Amino acid sequence: MTLMATTRRKGPPELTLAVLAVVGFVALAIATGGNLLSAGTLEAFFRFLAVPIVIGLSQMVVLAVGQMNLSVGALTGFCAMAAAWLMLEAGLPAPIAVLAALALGLAVGVANGVLVVLTRINGFIVTLATMTIIQGLRYGVNGPDTYQGYSAGLRAFGRASVLGLPAVFLVAIAVAVLVGLYFSRTVPGRKLLASGGSPFAARLSGISNDRSLITAHGLSGLLAGVAAVITVAASGSVNATIGDDLLLPSFAAPIIGGVALTGGMVSVTGTVLAAFLIRLVDVMQAQFGINPRWVDLIIGAVVLGAVLLGTARQKLQERSP
Amino acid sequence: MTVQAEKAAPAETTKPRRIPLWANPRIGLVVLLVLLVALFTVLRPAFLDTRLTLTPLQSDISVYLVVGLAQLSVLSLGHMNLAVGRMAATSAFAMGLTHDKLGAGLIVSLAAGLLVGALLGALAGLIISRTGVNSFVVTLAMDFALVGLITILYASATDGVAFPTMPAGMEALRFDTFADYCLGDVCGPRVPLVVPIAIAAALLVGLLFRSARLGREILMTGSNVRAAELSGIPTRTRIVQAHALSGLIAALAGFLLAANNGAFSASIGDSFLLPSFLAPVLGGTLLAGGAVSVLGTALGATLTQVIYKGLNLLQFQLDQLQLYIGLVLIAALSLDRARHVLAERRGAKL
Repeated sequence: MTLMATTRRKGPPELTLAVLAVVGFVALAIATGGNLLSAGTLEAFFRFLAVPIVIGLSQMVVLAVGQMNLSVGALTGFCAMAAAWLMLEAGLPAPIAVLAALALGLAVGVANGVLVVLTRINGFIVTLATMTIIQGLRYGVNGPDTYQGYSAGLRAFGRASVLGLPAVFLVAIAVAVLVGLYFSRTVPGRKLLASGGSPFAARLSGISNDRSLITAHGLSGLLAGVAAVITVAASGSVNATIGDDLLLPSFAAPIIGGVALTGGMVSVTGTVLAAFLIRLVDVMQAQFGINPRWVDLIIGAVVLGAVLLGTARQKLQERSP
Repeated sequence: MTVQAEKAAPAETTKPRRIPLWANPRIGLVVLLVLLVALFTVLRPAFLDTRLTLTPLQSDISVYLVVGLAQLSVLSLGHMNLAVGRMAATSAFAMGLTHDKLGAGLIVSLAAGLLVGALLGALAGLIISRTGVNSFVVTLAMDFALVGLITILYASATDGVAFPTMPAGMEALRFDTFADYCLGDVCGPRVPLVVPIAIAAALLVGLLFRSARLGREILMTGSNVRAAELSGIPTRTRIVQAHALSGLIAALAGFLLAANNGAFSASIGDSFLLPSFLAPVLGGTLLAGGAVSVLGTALGATLTQVIYKGLNLLQFQLDQLQLYIGLVLIAALSLDRARHVLAERRGAKL
């Protein structure tokens, strides 16, 4: 599902990724002697796939308008800490804490967008600054201490499974479907892509680019809030380091998935498949006891390879119209 | 010292008015700097204590000035180098390895590290210029790859995360100031030995972008690739050279930090990314490319480190420190924007 501002095309990147994902999964299943397919391992595989998918989508929606959001990881951690604080210190019930975390993500995202629009400063710099601020706030919630033992219902939800698939993974997939529909079927979503594809043409067609920027950043913040809720539910304890390791994967998933940094196009399927592939590498490391540092090395190489492949394919297409 | 690629103006237009003094971002930074130093001194007189505060502050500023220069070298193109910290770390590893395994001295080790940094930068530049892929993606991927590589390298070459030995002379760079070197009765000021290295780097980079053909052509490339190409500038080579320069300077920053910390360790460069953008951007260098300000970068680096040191002395916690740095950054950038709009309204050409 690659969606462009002007044309829609079901490109080969998703197909390549899908084939890679299936081949990789089968190969890993065989290499581990079927261990991967045992109920426990498979469930863990999908449970820890939920956050990478949502955080990748969170980055993807700002890439759609040609922006970046460096604050996604810190914001996820901040929302998670805020939700835990509301449950433990303020004594609020879990549903209210969840809604508050989502609202907080949305509010910070909108603030990012408003700052970008008002100051006309590059979104990279604005979110770099807000990332620093949010990191401070995240630490300020509870210092270096860990929150645990909050709402039993929420933690049960994090461990729950439906038909063998973890509930949190299904939430992530549902979010992905909603984001996909938003960009393909709704007017605001199409407007976002139009602004990202060509701000000038969008303005001439009566689209407010400023509003697109604020919407995209707000949506990105909201998705970071979703990632926070999933983290709180699935991990059982949260502290101020949550989100530190999310920034780079948030870029890796959409970029491997074929989303351009220039804006104007998104690929929900590609982003989800790329998150799946990165998770495969992670599991491979755990299964074979490889130094975890090799994972970073491999992901770096894969990102670069994916981008190079994309450019090569584009050149080939241009040569043979 | 703002250096900008000339833009050909039509001959018949009236001469643009000079930028008014208040619209110069560098003046604003100096004023802010003076105010902050005054504020911190009033709150904590120890802020002006030479041995306790000012000497370490100068060492810190030196490191982060050089870090800012590494980012500035590619900002001149409108590119970014997200791997700046990791390039510094890999180069520091090369320096440590050259000394530890081959027994090389300070100069040879430093040269080896600088070479590794320049090669890494050139590799990034080569990929960017050959494929046309966004520099953000390439250097992000490189950062990923180097993070992994560094830990593996340190684990295999040392028994931990740092080299046990340092070349002779590094200790002097760490602890000595010019006050320790006397000529008869006349001793130098209490300035750490790393300061002149950073200043020399800044002067060289400033000269490169102001006077050297290479620097001017890099700025032209950053301003408008197509126009530069049409004027016969080998833009691809310039891109590779600018990135190689960035890697080289990042390696120097890694060396200076290793000298300050007293070890070639795997954690060098971890904290480089944010300050590398802070210093040039606060100093008025745009992300769009085509213009750089070395003096502004020096002021930006000084301002950031003064804030860190001041808040530290006031015993702010880590979280509040980050909070205020972020707020100051946004405030400074917004002020800059307001000044820009105001100056445009008054008809000054910026």
